[in-house]
Amino acid sequence: MAIHLNLLHEEIREQRQRQRDPLKIGMMVLIVFGAILFGYYMFNAYRTLEIKAKLSAVQRQWVKVEPNVTAAQKRSAELTDIIKTTKVLEDYIEDRFFWAPFLEKVSRCVAPNTQLTNIEGGIEGNTQEGTRRVTLLIEGVAAGREPRAAAEDLRQMLVEQLGQSYRDVKIEFKTLEDLDTLINVGGTNTAMAHYILTVNFNPKAPVKPAATPPTDRGSKKR
Amino acid sequence: MKALGLNKDQIKKIGLSSMGLVFLVYVYFTFFLGPLNRSRNNMLATMEDVQNKLSSSKSEMAKAVTLENQAKAATTRFAALKALNPEGAPIAWFPPRIKLFFANEQIDKAVARLENSVPFKEPELADWMRYNWMINIPQADYSTVGKAIADLENAEPLLTITKLAIRAIPEQGQFQAVDIVATNFIPKK
Repeated sequence: MAIHLNLLHEEIREQRQRQRDPLKIGMMVLIVFGAILFGYYMFNAYRTLEIKAKLSAVQRQWVKVEPNVTAAQKRSAELTDIIKTTKVLEDYIEDRFFWAPFLEKVSRCVAPNTQLTNIEGGIEGNTQEGTRRVTLLIEGVAAGREPRAAAEDLRQMLVEQLGQSYRDVKIEFKTLEDLDTLINVGGTNTAMAHYILTVNFNPKAPVKPAATPPTDRGSKKR
Repeated sequence: MKALGLNKDQIKKIGLSSMGLVFLVYVYFTFFLGPLNRSRNNMLATMEDVQNKLSSSKSEMAKAVTLENQAKAATTRFAALKALNPEGAPIAWFPPRIKLFFANEQIDKAVARLENSVPFKEPELADWMRYNWMINIPQADYSTVGKAIADLENAEPLLTITKLAIRAIPEQGQFQAVDIVATNFIPKK
């Protein structure tokens, strides 16, 4: 076996030590690591710039659209308000109680031997709550051989006439009294009665009864 | 460390290198990557927000167009109702208008007085006021009053008669005195 003599072992050891210098290796590692981190940073920075460009584009688009959108929103709110207000106003208009047809019906009920001296009343309650009612006092005098009967005829006539157009018609005598004075009707002196009627009804149209279906008896008759 | 064959000096250098690495990582994340990521996340959030606004804006505008078409009848009706009342204070124009109206119905001396005005409770009518008027007709016959009231109710859709009193005039049997309490809806000026 051949013998190897290393006459330069000190120099070789120093060279190896220089190569294994941890600071040098550490610096190299740091530089490599730093380069990786820098690369990653640049990659992120590029992505961020890309996003920034997209954001700018979107924002430019929004700036163009925004006035139109704001105007559209404002107009929508305005239209919604108009629709709601119109609906409420229409409801009020539709739910109004018309006095003229009522006065016409009252005039139809007054026979020649009765006279109305006072009609006074108004609308009470609330439409939304369904409590709206028309309440009136009708005052007058009736003449005839039986003036109380004439007043009762007027009351019944009013019930019949108003019942055709309104719901829950209630007409009652508040006062019905004979008067001492006589009145000349058609050349004859007749007695008089003074009355006050309380009239109360729901101004809604009455509910019509459902039509009854034809029965078999009708067809058998034929 | 001894097992790796490192001397004291080398251990010191390794420690120094490690500290350098930690410092580098700290500086990198705190002063470079962290702010960059925060900025990017903020931009992404802003972009998402703006994109949401943009997409909702399309539906908003479409909704406005649809609503505009649907509300044509309502807007026309609303404008017509508003046009029923002239400009200016109602106390200035309503009494003369009523006087003229009844004069055209062959009823003279009709006088309208303002009782009060109250705002509506309904939020839809926040821009409207309820004006209560007392209309006195000292002398008229029943049929003329009835016809006049019918015409008034038809001509003034925003007017409602809430109280009515018709009294016979003792000395003149064919004539009656009439008191009308009417409510009129008038937009706020």
